[in-house]
Amino acid sequence: MRVLIDGKGAAVVLFLLLSCWISPAQESRIGNLVGNAKHGKALYQRYCIFCHGPEGDGRGDSAPYLDPKPRDFTKATFKCRSTPSGSLPLDSDLYDTITRGVHSSGMPSWRPLLRQERADLVAYIKTFSSRFQEEQPGTPIQVPPEPPTSPESVKRGGELFQSVNCWLCHGKEGRGNGPSASSLTDSRNYPITPFDLTSGTRLKCGDSDQGIFRDLSTGLDGTPMPSFTSALNPDQMWDVVHFIATLRAPAKHHSIELTASPKAD
Amino acid sequence: MKKKYLCGVTAVVVSLGSMFWLAHTATVAADAPAGSVTGVVKFQGAVLPPARIDMSSDPNCLKAHPSPGTVEDIVVHSGGVLENAVVYVSGGLEGRTFQPPAEPVVLEQKGCTYKPHVIALQTNQKLSVVNSDSTTHNIHPIPNNNREWNMTQPPGVPLEQTFAREEIAVPVKCNIHPWMRGYIAVFKHPYFAVTDKDGSFELKNLPPGSYTITVWHGKLGTQSQKVTVGEGKTEKLEFAFKQ
Amino acid sequence: MKTFGAWLLLGVLLASVRPALAIPAFARKYGLPCSACHEAWPLLNNFGQTFKDNGYQLGNGRDAPIYHQPEYWPITFRVTPTWHRENNNRAAVDAIPGSGSSGLVEASVTKTGFDPSSIDLLAAGTLSNNISFFVQPFIGTGSTFLAQAWVRFDNLARTHWLNLKVGKFELDEPISQERTLTISNTGGTYYNYFFTPPGDSNFAGIGGNPVGAELSGHSQNDYTRYSIALLSAFPNQTYSGYANFTQSFELPKLGLQRVGVYGYLGEAPTFFQTSGGTPIQGAGLGNRSFYRAGAYGIWYVGKFDFDTFFLHGQDNVFLGNSVPANQAAALPLGATGPAWNGGFVEAHYLYNPRLVLTGKYELIRMSRQANSNIPSELGNLDTWTVGYRWYPIMNPRAGLAWVQEYSRILNAEAAPISGRADINSSLLMGFDFDF
Repeated sequence: MRVLIDGKGAAVVLFLLLSCWISPAQESRIGNLVGNAKHGKALYQRYCIFCHGPEGDGRGDSAPYLDPKPRDFTKATFKCRSTPSGSLPLDSDLYDTITRGVHSSGMPSWRPLLRQERADLVAYIKTFSSRFQEEQPGTPIQVPPEPPTSPESVKRGGELFQSVNCWLCHGKEGRGNGPSASSLTDSRNYPITPFDLTSGTRLKCGDSDQGIFRDLSTGLDGTPMPSFTSALNPDQMWDVVHFIATLRAPAKHHSIELTASPKAD
Repeated sequence: MKKKYLCGVTAVVVSLGSMFWLAHTATVAADAPAGSVTGVVKFQGAVLPPARIDMSSDPNCLKAHPSPGTVEDIVVHSGGVLENAVVYVSGGLEGRTFQPPAEPVVLEQKGCTYKPHVIALQTNQKLSVVNSDSTTHNIHPIPNNNREWNMTQPPGVPLEQTFAREEIAVPVKCNIHPWMRGYIAVFKHPYFAVTDKDGSFELKNLPPGSYTITVWHGKLGTQSQKVTVGEGKTEKLEFAFKQ
Repeated sequence: MKTFGAWLLLGVLLASVRPALAIPAFARKYGLPCSACHEAWPLLNNFGQTFKDNGYQLGNGRDAPIYHQPEYWPITFRVTPTWHRENNNRAAVDAIPGSGSSGLVEASVTKTGFDPSSIDLLAAGTLSNNISFFVQPFIGTGSTFLAQAWVRFDNLARTHWLNLKVGKFELDEPISQERTLTISNTGGTYYNYFFTPPGDSNFAGIGGNPVGAELSGHSQNDYTRYSIALLSAFPNQTYSGYANFTQSFELPKLGLQRVGVYGYLGEAPTFFQTSGGTPIQGAGLGNRSFYRAGAYGIWYVGKFDFDTFFLHGQDNVFLGNSVPANQAAALPLGATGPAWNGGFVEAHYLYNPRLVLTGKYELIRMSRQANSNIPSELGNLDTWTVGYRWYPIMNPRAGLAWVQEYSRILNAEAAPISGRADINSSLLMGFDFDF
């Protein structure tokens, strides 16, 4: 029997037809907000294009002068997510990043934009990579309730910080000067330094204990920071979080939140 | 709403129909006696002694690797044969689909190095990463055409992943131990081989036909040759990288 | 009437000082395009207004100068070389040109030519975290002065609600007169901000840059804003106070709307201590009060935005008649404190971030003249302006706009001889270049 449609062709036709059912990637859903990519495109060209580039590949006019470099949306690899390493972010993860900004980088907090505008931007950003149409995001990490900190928890956390090799990058005191720190590059081969936990600077993906737990679970994709779900169970993760809290500079050194905030909106 | 309903019905009809065609394609051309391509990959040129690796940052690595490790960028053995070259069919398989084998391919972290330095597997075939050291590693492939992920792995804890798309090849590294570098080559088909210490390769079970055979090396680039495989015949090829 | 003409001229001259502010130095510092902060520069959008209210800080940890390349200097300059054609329909001119004794008649006077433009040079940004600054020399043909020089201590007690600015600064105006999209001398400014009634000795107004201190604050998303300032608006003037309260709210599908109320209240001297007959600067006496107050709104409807503004002004009778407060007998017949109402509506159509169309209508109506000798309509004015700006270059390094504007102002009963309406019109085109 002659082959009329081969397997590849069939898959393409199937996908095109099924895409009528799947919510198009031209939309985003955050809470009860529905973002529209067409509106998002006009907003992107007003606000985002000079860093992230007209093709969304992070090669805007300003990009050569920025460190860290603007995100390349075409790879769909994002640092700040609530989904496992390697997975797409949720729409709300992108929305939170836009709202919160990324501290210590060129990405400002876009909170002054209307909520609808931010949702529209999320919808447009998703059009830069076909992964948003081909894949679904992974199951989000559930952050369990935090047990109270204690000297024992901090001690266990310190031992884990050592045994799970955090110190090799972050240094024994968390200053970001571990033996491997100077060799680190991000996934576009730009040099990158581990976070200096003692600096008093806000963390990039949200500054609370829950945020740190989530970062340890998801890893920061695109950077050397891995996911620790294979290495630490939830109790151990909280121990590490409690230990990290003792490394960080006292709260008074934190600069005031101008438009960013640990909780987005 | 009506449009979506119509889409849905058509989708079901077409997908059912296409599955029949799909079933046919898998059985095409399975009948003629298969041939193979074998050969050797050589390296011609001056070979500098490889650089030594300093593993002192992690005492566990130092202990597990008593004699200093060396950088494995270009590894040449006696007779000028090149290890860690990936030889594969790059043309001639159009229109065919292949199911990944059930057995995983194993990447081992031993002595704080990747063993082997280069591995190859099929799309959606399981990659099983094993940590035989007494220190925690992280495995961080940095693909162009696949998802990027980054997972820590304590000693003895199993880890499995797959790659969805063909890519030759995905660099993989351990950020914690920056000297650890390797490659993962992902293919849509099973006709590939990684050269070992003798530089040889064999691509078996090739249906008769014309193919383009390509060799890839992480530092030396790629080369291609055309070959015609007859029924039940074995063709011999030689590749030579110069520097 | 002649005197009023002089006041009007002064008002226009003051109005023609057009320091106006769009700051590519900020774009260079952060890598953002002009359109991120400006609806169409120099008009600010909500993101830019929030940035300004935060003390020119984004809050991303990169605000303090230490984080920037050493070769970054927070300097911007702006020039507006233009061509203009201005006409006054009833100016007082010599009957025979060149003959000073031939007597004055009213005639239409047209002036046309290229304008070299003044230079706004400004340095602004942060001195360190939460300390922002602004220095703006204005270099014009024939005059150079410091238009602004201030320091602001931002986020005192770690709250957005307390910021203290000291120095010479632009008042927190309801709708920024320094960031209008129109630049001509005639219709490019807001007359309501500078208006002084005929015969009045008080130059107070909410335009211009006073010296003093301002306490301001805002909510985190900048929807709620307030500012309270203690000022000396002019040398020789005693203190005045200004306050502005505003609230934004979202209307679904339409955008962000803003409403506000403001007030400006102060005292001005009516005469001075003298030495040898010469008034001593700053030693004012016979202070009498004045105020300006009103409400405004900034409305967004898709690509349109509208500004609506209302002002009510009132000056004390001694100020209104330019009579020293210790000479009540010198007050003319029917003397009273002048009062007036004014307002404007300005609309912008933002076709895209690089093309904006503007139209404005402004009016002032005297509700009470200072005395019965003043014609009832003298001081009333109507002005309208239309124009557009096109931005061929808009990137984080510099911006260039091509501007065309037509404006027309009608001053009732202000023609110097006949007392009929005095109409000034202006056609302007040229470039607005901002580095």
